[in-house]
Amino acid sequence: MNILNVVLFTVMCLLGVGLYGLLITRNLIKVVVVLQLLVKSVVLAFVLAGNVSGQPGIGQSVAATVIVADTVVAVVALALAVQVRVRFGTLDIQKISSLRG
Amino acid sequence: MTSLLSLSLIIIPWLGALVVWRVGDNHPKWQHGLAVFFSVLAGILALLMIPYASSEVVFSLPMGSLFGELTFVSDGLAVALAAIACVVGSLAVLFSVDYMHGERQLGRFYAFVLLFIGAMTGLVLSSNLLFLFFFWEITALCSYALISFYNDDPKAVAGGMKALIITQFGGVGLLVGALTVFGQLGSYQIPNLIQHASNLPSGLLAVMGFGFLLAAAAKSAQFPFHTWLPDAMEAPTPISALIHAATMVNAGVYLLARFYPVFAPVPGWSFAVMLVGLITALLTAVMALTAMDLKRALAYSTVSQLGYMFYAIGAGGIFASQLHLLSHAVFKALLFLAAGSVIHSVGTRDMRKMGGLGKQMPFVRNVFILGALALAGFPIMNGFWSKELILEEGLKNTPWWAYGGMLIGAGLTAFYTLRMTWMVFFGEPREALHAHDAGKAMKISLGILAVGSFTTWLFVGGFSEMLARTLPFHEFHVLTLGALIEEVLFAPATYVALGVVMLGLAISWMVRKQATGPVPEALEVLSRESFGLDWLNRQIAKVTLRSASILQKTQTGEMNWNVVGIIGALALVLGILLWSAS
Amino acid sequence: MEITPYVLLSLGAVFCAYRAVRSHRLLASSLYLAGVSALVSVMLFLLGATEVAVIELSVGAGLVTVLLVYALSVVGEDAQDPVSVVPRPLAFVLVALVAGLIGWMTLPLMPLPQATRDLLLVDVLWKKRALDVWIQMVLIFSGVLGILGLLAESKTIKEQALEEEGMMESVSFVIAHQEAETQDIEATPEEV
Repeated sequence: MNILNVVLFTVMCLLGVGLYGLLITRNLIKVVVVLQLLVKSVVLAFVLAGNVSGQPGIGQSVAATVIVADTVVAVVALALAVQVRVRFGTLDIQKISSLRG
Repeated sequence: MTSLLSLSLIIIPWLGALVVWRVGDNHPKWQHGLAVFFSVLAGILALLMIPYASSEVVFSLPMGSLFGELTFVSDGLAVALAAIACVVGSLAVLFSVDYMHGERQLGRFYAFVLLFIGAMTGLVLSSNLLFLFFFWEITALCSYALISFYNDDPKAVAGGMKALIITQFGGVGLLVGALTVFGQLGSYQIPNLIQHASNLPSGLLAVMGFGFLLAAAAKSAQFPFHTWLPDAMEAPTPISALIHAATMVNAGVYLLARFYPVFAPVPGWSFAVMLVGLITALLTAVMALTAMDLKRALAYSTVSQLGYMFYAIGAGGIFASQLHLLSHAVFKALLFLAAGSVIHSVGTRDMRKMGGLGKQMPFVRNVFILGALALAGFPIMNGFWSKELILEEGLKNTPWWAYGGMLIGAGLTAFYTLRMTWMVFFGEPREALHAHDAGKAMKISLGILAVGSFTTWLFVGGFSEMLARTLPFHEFHVLTLGALIEEVLFAPATYVALGVVMLGLAISWMVRKQATGPVPEALEVLSRESFGLDWLNRQIAKVTLRSASILQKTQTGEMNWNVVGIIGALALVLGILLWSAS
Repeated sequence: MEITPYVLLSLGAVFCAYRAVRSHRLLASSLYLAGVSALVSVMLFLLGATEVAVIELSVGAGLVTVLLVYALSVVGEDAQDPVSVVPRPLAFVLVALVAGLIGWMTLPLMPLPQATRDLLLVDVLWKKRALDVWIQMVLIFSGVLGILGLLAESKTIKEQALEEEGMMESVSFVIAHQEAETQDIEATPEEV
């Protein structure tokens, strides 16, 4: 039981909780929250992988890139969620889905 | 030079399809003109390629280790079929200028026709088994789209679906064969397969052989898959002439001809091919006897003649089958286009309403008679020479009862051909139909095809020489024109066959009043249900459509269920990884 | 033990994440997310990625939380998160399966070479990964444009609504005026 295992365990749990959230949630803004959670687990995994493989620099720079990219995604997603609320009147995924069949 | 030519044969029609589609339906004159231009260009290029036929690879593009290399080989078989596809294609497009005058959505029509012409040439030129399958599927798609061209007519849509499902069902056989080859030999290249065929374990070779036979039978509407072709007659007539008489249905014959050296050693394969041809030829000839719809009768006739080609391949006469393919493409396209003129001007396909139209449409009547004589196997016409060759091969290599059956088939062919011609053009008019003779564009196509129907046999020397030179594994014998005439004229079998044909014509003439009248109820029901097989094909189509609508329920469009799918697939992949690593 | 802070951080992060997913009020969700962000950031710092830890803390716990709260205020706190469509046991099983399989494949790994604080090569590697920097700039720029476009429309929707209201009033005024005129015209012949 060393640091590697603990951090890996964290990554697995965060990933699992995030996927569980994607399966469960019906609110559009909560989806954004869950996506951010998944991104944190990914960042942790990248830094860990960088350390393990002996190239910590690359791991960290990729992790920073991922944070920036996913933040932009979260921001645009929130703006879209606001627009959806304005036009459809609801944030429930089930009710706004028109791609049926 | 040849690589450029062969590539252009595929690219030019496809480019034409794109251009005609983009021109838009508001400029029909441009669409007609451009379609004719591109298809005639392809036809000329295809004819130009004939002297350059060779057995070497003319074009090769590596597509990665998964697909092998995209190779094209322009040998005799490929060039002949490509020429047929492009030339008959251009004549059919020329015909459509008059036939489809004033129709809506011409862009869709011409785009699919040109797409089809390009895909058909790709199919015959392809030397990579997987890409042959891809082009095969593209032709099936175009066929479906064109059969259902009048997509507000439920019969047309149903016909298109049926054709698609049945030919795709057969396509599975082709795919299985291709994948088997790749698994065993590591390459999709056809020359590779032909050379190393003896290295494959015989069980696998048999599976491949019968898989290919399944695909060819489904595509060429042979027994037991023959029911989709008559229903495909809902397509506009130029399409029936091009796709369902001259090109796409020949893809099955082409497949068997090309892979004959590979599968001939498989025990029972040649016999199965011959049997399929024999049963189909006889069955559909009987069905053509009772047909009341002009196009349906021609469709049954097409299937019957394709049965002759299958029979020839089963008997080992590859050259005879290819010569008959050439003759049949010409005279059947002629018959369909002439029938199209008739249908277009009187507005009905029912032969019971026609009669005595010969006086009002003399040109069409004359070319139809020429085509009918070729179909029946009357001397001098190209159908006579090729049919005699087939029967001779059959006499040499097949059991006596098979030969007898094909003879009877020849008689039946003559019978129903005369019946058809009489019902439409001669006798007393049954209804007062107003008919006008063919338009100018129609006349040109019909004229060219009519000339072809009694001249194509003159090229037999060059044709057989080209095949013998470029297809070493098929062991063709060069048959010059003189040798052909000598062989056919001096063989006693010829006169037996000729006698049967004349007998058929004579009997048909004598009973013409009864033959063109109402048909006994039982026989009519039997033919309509294709001797019970239509029920089988309808079931296949119904099961497919129902399972499709059941699967539609999995497409909920809701994120939660989509994520369930993603995670489930991820779990599956991880499981497989773990299991294979242990 | 050196491992203790990691264990504590790990447990805390997982607990906060679970609360974030399972709480009914969105505001609570975003605050728990901020908590996860903070704990993960500390863990990153302990692993030796100091710059990344700083970025994570400021962006994850700061920017995203502020944005979420703003979005919630604009949208209005929606009703409780409705019951999920996918049955909970199914979700649980699927997730356990996936996480368990990945965990089983990766956990029995070799111990990691201890991450040393002096391997701070991030600056040097920005030179190698300069393309990443450009891509991030483009991303941020397009994100800003997207936001402006989306949020500007919502304003024009309100303005359009106001305009329409104003137009309705003026139209009804014109109709009333016309009615009055016709009444006058009808009235005058009587006078005459």
